[in-house]
Amino acid sequence: MPVWLAVAWSRLRALVAARRLDDDFDREVSAHMEMLVDHHLRRGLPPDAARRAAALEFGGAMQIKERQHDRRGLPFVETTLQDIRYGLRALRRNPAYSVVAIATLAVGIGAGTAVFSVASAVLLRPLPYQDPARLVRVFETNPLRNWSRNIASPANYADWRRRNTVFTDMAAYEQFNSLGSGASEIFLTGQGEPQGLKSLGVTGNLFSVLGTPPLVGRTFTDEETFDGKARVVILTYGLWQSAFAGDPGVVGRSITLSGRTYDVVGVMPRDFFFPGRDVHLFVPVAYQPSVFVRNRRPHYLGVIARLKAGVGLERAQQEMNAIAGSLEKEHPDTNTKMGVRLERFHDSLAYTPRPALLMLSGAVGVLFLIVCANIANLQLGRATARVRELAIRQALGAGRRRLVRQLVTESLILSLAGGALGFALAIFARAAVQQLAASAIPLFAEIRLDRPVMLFCVGLSLLAPLFFGVLPALLSSKPERLNERGEVASRDTRFLRGTLIAAEVALSIVLVVGAVLFGRSFVQLQAVDPGFDQNRVITFELSLPAARYPNSADRLRAFEEIERRLREQPGVQSAGAVSTLALRGYTWTGDATIEGRSTNTDWERELRHKSVTPGYFKTMNIRLIAGRLFVDGDRIDQPRVTVVNEALAQRYFRGEDPIGKRLKFARPQDNDAWVTVVGVVANEKQDGLDHAPAPQAYSAIRQRMQNPLTYVVRSTLDDASVAALARREVQAVDRDLALTSVAPMRNVVSESMGDHRFRTVLVGAFAGVALLLAALGIYGVLAYFVSQRARELGIRLALGARPQAVFTMVVGQGMRPVAVGAALGLAAALALTSVVRSLLFGVDPVDPGTYAAASVTLAIVALAACAIPAIRATRVDPLVALRDE
Amino acid sequence: MTDTRSDILQGTLDLMVLQTLEAMGPLHGYGIARRIEQISEDALQLNQGTIYAALLRLQQRRWISAAWGTSDNNRKAKFYAITKSGRRQLGAQARNWERIAGVMMRVLKLAER
Repeated sequence: MPVWLAVAWSRLRALVAARRLDDDFDREVSAHMEMLVDHHLRRGLPPDAARRAAALEFGGAMQIKERQHDRRGLPFVETTLQDIRYGLRALRRNPAYSVVAIATLAVGIGAGTAVFSVASAVLLRPLPYQDPARLVRVFETNPLRNWSRNIASPANYADWRRRNTVFTDMAAYEQFNSLGSGASEIFLTGQGEPQGLKSLGVTGNLFSVLGTPPLVGRTFTDEETFDGKARVVILTYGLWQSAFAGDPGVVGRSITLSGRTYDVVGVMPRDFFFPGRDVHLFVPVAYQPSVFVRNRRPHYLGVIARLKAGVGLERAQQEMNAIAGSLEKEHPDTNTKMGVRLERFHDSLAYTPRPALLMLSGAVGVLFLIVCANIANLQLGRATARVRELAIRQALGAGRRRLVRQLVTESLILSLAGGALGFALAIFARAAVQQLAASAIPLFAEIRLDRPVMLFCVGLSLLAPLFFGVLPALLSSKPERLNERGEVASRDTRFLRGTLIAAEVALSIVLVVGAVLFGRSFVQLQAVDPGFDQNRVITFELSLPAARYPNSADRLRAFEEIERRLREQPGVQSAGAVSTLALRGYTWTGDATIEGRSTNTDWERELRHKSVTPGYFKTMNIRLIAGRLFVDGDRIDQPRVTVVNEALAQRYFRGEDPIGKRLKFARPQDNDAWVTVVGVVANEKQDGLDHAPAPQAYSAIRQRMQNPLTYVVRSTLDDASVAALARREVQAVDRDLALTSVAPMRNVVSESMGDHRFRTVLVGAFAGVALLLAALGIYGVLAYFVSQRARELGIRLALGARPQAVFTMVVGQGMRPVAVGAALGLAAALALTSVVRSLLFGVDPVDPGTYAAASVTLAIVALAACAIPAIRATRVDPLVALRDE
Repeated sequence: MTDTRSDILQGTLDLMVLQTLEAMGPLHGYGIARRIEQISEDALQLNQGTIYAALLRLQQRRWISAAWGTSDNNRKAKFYAITKSGRRQLGAQARNWERIAGVMMRVLKLAER
C-alpha cells in the first residue's frame, strides 16, 4: 500500500473511532507521566516536586492531546460534521423557521430548475447529429416579399448546392411554411387499423449531411432522390418499434402508405429525429430532375448544409451572397432581390421560442433573488434572537471564523434540503410544464431532467447560501454585537433588513408588472374576434391518396360524398371543408394580379388563397358582408369566381364596390383566366390571433381542387360522438382512409395561444409567489419591530396615545422600505419593458394603467402584511409590557 | 547551538525513533524518549510529549506498530515495534543521512581551511 494511502486510511479510521482513540491516548499519557514521576522519585525528589518535574519534562499535556487528536484524524471534516450535527439540531429546535425556509427555497430552486429544464431542452442540449455546430440552415430572403427567413425553391437550392465551395454538402426537405416541419399526413395500411403518420420528403443526402448512419439498412441513394419514381421509405426508431415491433426483417419488405407500396430500406437510430419529433418516416422528395432545374417560383424546401472544416459562418455567408447575386442576374423575373441568410441550425430551430425563454429565465432569476432576500431576512431575524447562544459559544472559545462557518453550514443545510425538495417539485411539475410548453416550444425539444439540469439544481442550491447566508452570518457574529447584553437589533442589522425588504419589493414589482402585462395581453388575445365561431365545431384532416384518386374528378366526388354524408347525420347542423384551416400556422400564398391595379413590375406576390366547399362559411359562421357565397353551381365549366375577405377588399378596392372586380392567381404576363369577385366575407384570422388579417381569396373547391382538405362539422353532439361518426362515414366511403388531426375548433384556437398562455401562467405564478414572499418578509420584520418595542408602545398607550396614532406609526414604519422598493422596482420595470415588447399583444408596455395596477396590488399586499403587527401594537397591555422586563 | 529542542527536524526525530526501536526492540513512549536523551548524552532535551507526534506519523505510515503491554515494573503501557516496511525505510533514510552528513562534513572542513 502506498504511504499516502496508508495515511489517508488511517486518518479516515481515526475519524470514526475518534473518541476511543482519545481515551486510548489519555491512558498512554497517564502511563508515561507515572513512569516519569517514578523516575524522579527514584532520584530522591519528594512526591510533589517529582510530579512537577514530570509535568515540566513532558510538556503541556492538554495541548499535546489536542494536537494529537487533530493530527490523527481529519480536523476539517470533523469540524464540518460537527457543524452539520449542530446545525441540524439548531434547525430542529426551530421547526417553523426551518420549514418556511426550506419550502421557500424549494419553490425558488424548483422553479429555476423547471425553467432551466425547458431552456436547456430548447437552447442548450446539443442536437443528436455529428458535430452539430457545423450544421447551417439556408434561408431565402427577399425584401419585396417581406421575407427574412423563407423556405427555398428547388431550383435555387440546386444552384446553391452546385455552385458553393464552403459546404461539404447541402440537403433539403419539404417544408410548406416557415414554422412547422412540413411533414405531410400519410396512412399506413395493412397493419391493422389505418394509421395516420407524418412523413417528410427529404433529399437522399440529408442523412449524410447530418452525419447519422441508419441503425438498420441504408439511406436513400442520389438516384432515388432525383428520378422521381422511387418508392422507398426510412422509418424512425419509434415507428419501427410501435408498428413493426422492432423487427429488423422489415428492411426489404414492402409496406402500403396511402395506397402505394413502398420498400423499407432503413431504420434510423433511437435518438434520431429530424427536424422535429413528430415525423414518423422519411421518403425521398422524389421530384423529377427537371423540377430542380426549372422550379424557381414555388418555395417549399427547407435547406440544411454542413460547413466544411475551417470555414466560418461569415465566409460561407459571403460566398452565398455572391451566388445569390449571380442567380439574381440570371433569373430576374423570379430572383429579383432574392438573398440568402445562413443561420446555425440549432439557432434556427430555437429562433421563435428564444425571446420568451430568455424572458422566463430572467423572471425566474428575479424570483430566485427574492427567495434569497426573504431567507436572508429570516436569518437576520433569527440571528438577533440567537445573540445569547452565539455569545456563549464565543465565550467558550469559538472564534468569529468558527461562528461564521457554523452559520454558513446551517444555511447550506437549508439550501441543500430546499434544493432536493425543489428537484422533486421539478420532477412532479415536468409533465405539466411539458404540456403547458407544448405549443410554446419547438417540436424537437423534449424536456428531460438530465444531468445538466441536475447540476444546475445543485449549483443553485450551493449558490443560494452565498446570497442569503454569508452576510447575515458575518453581521450576527460581529464581536461587538455579541457583547451587547440585550436582544435589541443593532443598527446595521435593522438597516440591512430594511434594505432587503426594499429589494424584495422592487424585484416583486418587476414580476408583478410583467404578470400584469402578459395577463392583459392574454385577455386581449382572447377577446380577439377570430372571424369565425369556434364553438361546437369539430375539425379533421383527410388526405386522398393519389394512387386511388388519380384525378381531380375522383377526388371531388369522394370529398363531396363524405361532406354530404356528414351533413345528413342526425345532430349535425352543417359541414364543410377547407384546404388550410385557420390558426394552424399554415397557409398557401402565391402570385396574384388585380385587374386595373397590378402592373408588369408590381403585382401581389404573396396573396393567400384557399379552396372551400360551399358549406364552409356557413359551418364556421363567417359573416357575409357583400355579394354572395359559393353555391353548388360554381363548377369547373362555369365562369371562375372568388370570394375575398374584407382586408383584400380594403387593400385593393377601397371606396369602390369590389363585387364584379376581377383578379387572376398569376403574374400579369401569364395567361391564366380572370376570376370575378362575387362576395366579401369578414376577416378570418389565419396566422394567429395576434396577427393582423392579411388579404385572402377563397376559391370554390369545384373550380380549384385541393388535397388534403380539412373538414369542419358543426353539431349539437359531443366531441367524441362527432369524431366517431365522422370516422364511420369516411370509412363507409373508403375503408382505407383515416382521419388525422381530429380536434375541436376551440382547441385549435386555444393551442394557437399556447405560447402566450405558457408565459402568462409562468410569470403570473412567479409574481404570485413573489408577492407572498414579500408579504412574509414585511410581516416578519414588522412583527419583530413591534415585539421589540412593546414596552415603549405600551407606555405610549398608557400615557394616552390614541390607538390609531400607534397603528399609523407602525404601518408607516413598515411601509417606508416598501415605498422605496416600489419606486425602484417601477423604474426597473419601466427600463425592462423594451425586452418584453415583442412578446406582448395589444398592450402598451409603458401604459400607466399597468404600473398603477401593479403598485396597487403591491400596496394592498404590503398593507395587509403591516396591518397584523400594527393591530397587535395597538393592543399592547402596558402592564404586561412592563412586567416583561 | 543554543536551543536544541527547536532544532530537531521532524524527519530526524522520526529516524531516531525508528533506529531506537530497531536497536532496542519493542518499547513504550517513555522508554523511547529516555533512550534518545541518553544516546544524545542529554545534548538533546526533548519535551517528552513531542515524541508522540513522531510515533503517530510513523504509525500512520505503517512503519511501526503499537500494542498495549506490561512494562518492567508492572505498569500497563503501549509498546511500539518497528515493522518490516519500517525497517526498509530506516535503511533507506539512514543511508541518505550518511550521505548528507558526509557531504556536510566535507563542506564544513572546506570552510575551515
